[in-house]
Amino acid sequence: MRLINLIRKWSHRQKEEQDLDQEVHAYLELLTAEKIRDGMTPEAAARSARIELGGTEQVKEQVRDVRSGAWLETVLQDLRYGFRMLLHNPGFSSLIVLTLALGIGANTAIFSVVYGVLLRPLPYQRGGDLVVLHQQATQAHLSNVPFSVKEIQDYRGYNHTLDAVVEYHNMNFLLLGKDLAERVEAGVVSANFFDALGVKPLLGRTFVATDESPNAEPVIILSYQYWQRRHGGDANIVGRVFQMNDRPHTVIGVLPPIPQYPEENDIYMPTTACPTRSSAAFINNRDSRMMTVFGRVKPGVTLATAQADLSAVAGQIETAYPENYPKAYGYGLAAAPLGQDLARRARATLLVLLGAAGFVLLIACANVANLMLARLLKREREFAVRRALGASRVRLMRQLLTEATMLAVAGGALGLMLAPPVLSLLVKFAGQFTTRAAEVKMDAPVLLFTLLLSVGSGLLFGFAPALYSGAHVAETLRQAAAQTSSARKHQRLRASLVMVQVAVSFVLLIGAGLMMRSFVRLQQVDPGFRSDRLLSLRLSPNFNRYQTPQLASALSDNTLRSIRALGGVESAAMTSNSPFSPRAIANGPSSNDFEIEGKLAGNGNMKPSTDVTLVSDRYFETIRQPLLQGRTFTEHDDAETLKAGIINQAMARHRWPTEDPVGKRITFDQGKTWTTIVGVVGDVREYGLDHAPGDEIYLPVKQFGFGSGLVVRTSSDPMSIYPLIRKALHDLDPQLAVDQAETIERRQEESVSSPRITAILLGIFALLALVISASGIAGIMALAVSQRTQELGIRMALGQPRTSLIGMVLRQGLAVSLSGTALGLIGAVALGRLLSSMLYATPPTDAITFATVSLLFVTVATFACLVPARRVTRIDPISALRQE
Amino acid sequence: MPPEQTSLLQGTLDLLILKSLALQQLHGLGIARRIEQMTRGTFQVKPGSLFPALHRMEEEGWLTSTWGESENNRRAKYYRLTKAGRKQLETETERWGRISLAIAQALEA
Repeated sequence: MRLINLIRKWSHRQKEEQDLDQEVHAYLELLTAEKIRDGMTPEAAARSARIELGGTEQVKEQVRDVRSGAWLETVLQDLRYGFRMLLHNPGFSSLIVLTLALGIGANTAIFSVVYGVLLRPLPYQRGGDLVVLHQQATQAHLSNVPFSVKEIQDYRGYNHTLDAVVEYHNMNFLLLGKDLAERVEAGVVSANFFDALGVKPLLGRTFVATDESPNAEPVIILSYQYWQRRHGGDANIVGRVFQMNDRPHTVIGVLPPIPQYPEENDIYMPTTACPTRSSAAFINNRDSRMMTVFGRVKPGVTLATAQADLSAVAGQIETAYPENYPKAYGYGLAAAPLGQDLARRARATLLVLLGAAGFVLLIACANVANLMLARLLKREREFAVRRALGASRVRLMRQLLTEATMLAVAGGALGLMLAPPVLSLLVKFAGQFTTRAAEVKMDAPVLLFTLLLSVGSGLLFGFAPALYSGAHVAETLRQAAAQTSSARKHQRLRASLVMVQVAVSFVLLIGAGLMMRSFVRLQQVDPGFRSDRLLSLRLSPNFNRYQTPQLASALSDNTLRSIRALGGVESAAMTSNSPFSPRAIANGPSSNDFEIEGKLAGNGNMKPSTDVTLVSDRYFETIRQPLLQGRTFTEHDDAETLKAGIINQAMARHRWPTEDPVGKRITFDQGKTWTTIVGVVGDVREYGLDHAPGDEIYLPVKQFGFGSGLVVRTSSDPMSIYPLIRKALHDLDPQLAVDQAETIERRQEESVSSPRITAILLGIFALLALVISASGIAGIMALAVSQRTQELGIRMALGQPRTSLIGMVLRQGLAVSLSGTALGLIGAVALGRLLSSMLYATPPTDAITFATVSLLFVTVATFACLVPARRVTRIDPISALRQE
Repeated sequence: MPPEQTSLLQGTLDLLILKSLALQQLHGLGIARRIEQMTRGTFQVKPGSLFPALHRMEEEGWLTSTWGESENNRRAKYYRLTKAGRKQLETETERWGRISLAIAQALEA
């Protein structure tokens, strides 16, 4: 009924307006007639009646305001009028829309990533209930110790708060197909893995309990991506048999295209199909730790309750097996929400970038507010006239806010178009921190964010001008020019807006400066070896053909001999862990307990620990890691000879600060076998340039068999020799898979790519902020000069030199810039701490950065002031005085 | 000019307009004058309050309007009560009676 009424009224609007007009005029006539009857002259009566009425337009406006649908009419009117005003001034409007588009586009892109990585619920059934368990030894500073089978059994058996405990580890296997050996990444999981995550297969089935029984036939499930990539989405794949680890494995299913956690795998298999995981020795050794463990909290149980329950289980385990969990280690268990854990490494960087983008938008808003204020000066008369004609102040404020919001929404729409290309870059960037980057997309929540952001910034920058609209009607109407006292108030408001801009851009510039300085420092770090002309690749032999150490060791010898014989190869060596490999950087060094001869730790005490790397002879010579003492390995350091070890300088200083470590013996197995230290080499930062070298011992690879990493120093471009190496290896053994060929130089570059991109992005934001702020400073200076033209003309006519006039104007602009800079300095010191976790060897109050940025800022601000200030010299005193 | 002006509460203005139209239809100025007369000049209704009120009450369905000739042959818009308007007048009168009684009692207490 109401709606129909509304529509009817709407369609009769014209007629109604006419009616209202006639009605008010009739009233006026009747009133006049009444007054004439009372004895007034017609002229006096008409005048008196008009005064009594109080203005026909005002009365009509008041009636319009109470009509139903009045708000709708007003909004439409405001929109129509605003649209005309904006079109009337296309340069101004497009400048604002573009500025906002940049700000909103950047924020939309970064928010998409933040939402996808940090906020979006995991795409699993009850994803919020999934927790990842971390074993900890707080006293040994270990926070993420993998689980052994025994430990998994304990937590599965004794907890009361989880309705599923699943295990996961990753291995790579050689999958033998028709033509060539292929290395596949395999997720080895407990049978309940997919059920706990609530993943339904695309084809076939997922694992059931019987797949994980000791004598089950080996089965595998393919990931969607691998199925598409290697098998062309073959619909008949289920039932196909592949040879792997010398056993036939049957495909039972294909996963849907879901993001895979904790990492991307080609295939999945139950724990019983993994040769390592299913061996009795591994299962029975409580200290054979390899697996990651997830749990799903029972419905209605809080994380705190689950944590308390799991800690209690940890306490029971610690008491029951004091040999394995010495009190001194501080054994414990921590449960963290899976979603949070997966995004752990991305959080700080993303939030800093989001903050920076937010700052840029804030600066853009301040600039737009300034532009709108400047234009308001020219519109002041228009607003005064509208006020006089009956428009209320609220109505005018609403008009300005409507215009601002229209601009902001247009900016937002353009920003949405700018966002996707930026987003695709950001997703790649975020992919270095978290697998969740694959889920990033611009969907409803992101669009909602953009809309809110647009409307919000419209209100933000529309608010200041709205406050100043139509405040001084009579004054404005009386003045011929737009130079009223409110102009001075504008000037103050504009100056404080510019001050805020300057302060915020200063903070951004400091942030970017710190990141860049940290990045430069990081790049200058000496990795401890020569990374140029060094090729790294991964070898995967079919281990079932080289089951004895002798066979494996022979393969090592043959491999190295055939590679070293190639033209263009200077030297080659094997290692279990080549420098800067992505996996090494992600996982960090390993921790292996040992004891020093003569200083046995004894039961219950903490043992020293070290990272272990297996290397072949000529490894140190190949990567040019300097030998400081003793000797390096030779081909004769194998399982037969004395067990030799070479330690790095850090370990030598740490464990034998006053003695010569060469000749000392250590044991990794409580004294069953002893390793003699035969040499000391320099420290190498193989886990990333920002990773300070820790204790490290190198053991001869031939004592264990085979190293999966091959490093080759070449005499020319390594990638050009790679095909030759590949062919030589294939000739040696066609089942020897070769992959991950990359130069170490490139890996080193990649290892710093995230600080580089962070520095670049922050740099772009800061530069954008600087440009916007500079234009803000120039803008208020230009206005100040044009408003003071008359005064300056008089001063000039009275003989004040032009240079002193320029100085006068300059001082005004510099005062604003400098107070903004001072404000920014305080902000930068306060906010710098947030960056400290991302900085390498750079304190958040780095003096050089602060000095450089301040200098840059003051220079730019001076130039921004100087350009408009020079207009002073063009003022002609005569015409300036005639201006009135 | 009356000695003192009482500001018109919205509800009161509605009631006075309804009451002024109880016996006959009137145009805007007529209503204003009738209210002055009824209240012996205590209430003077300004066009700025009167017209919005009239239009609002017409939308509520209490009043209806027609164009007609005034006493001195001028075109004017005449308002009269609808059925709903009469009912509203009754309710408002009854409510006002209660309020004024309550206030009178309160002041005497």
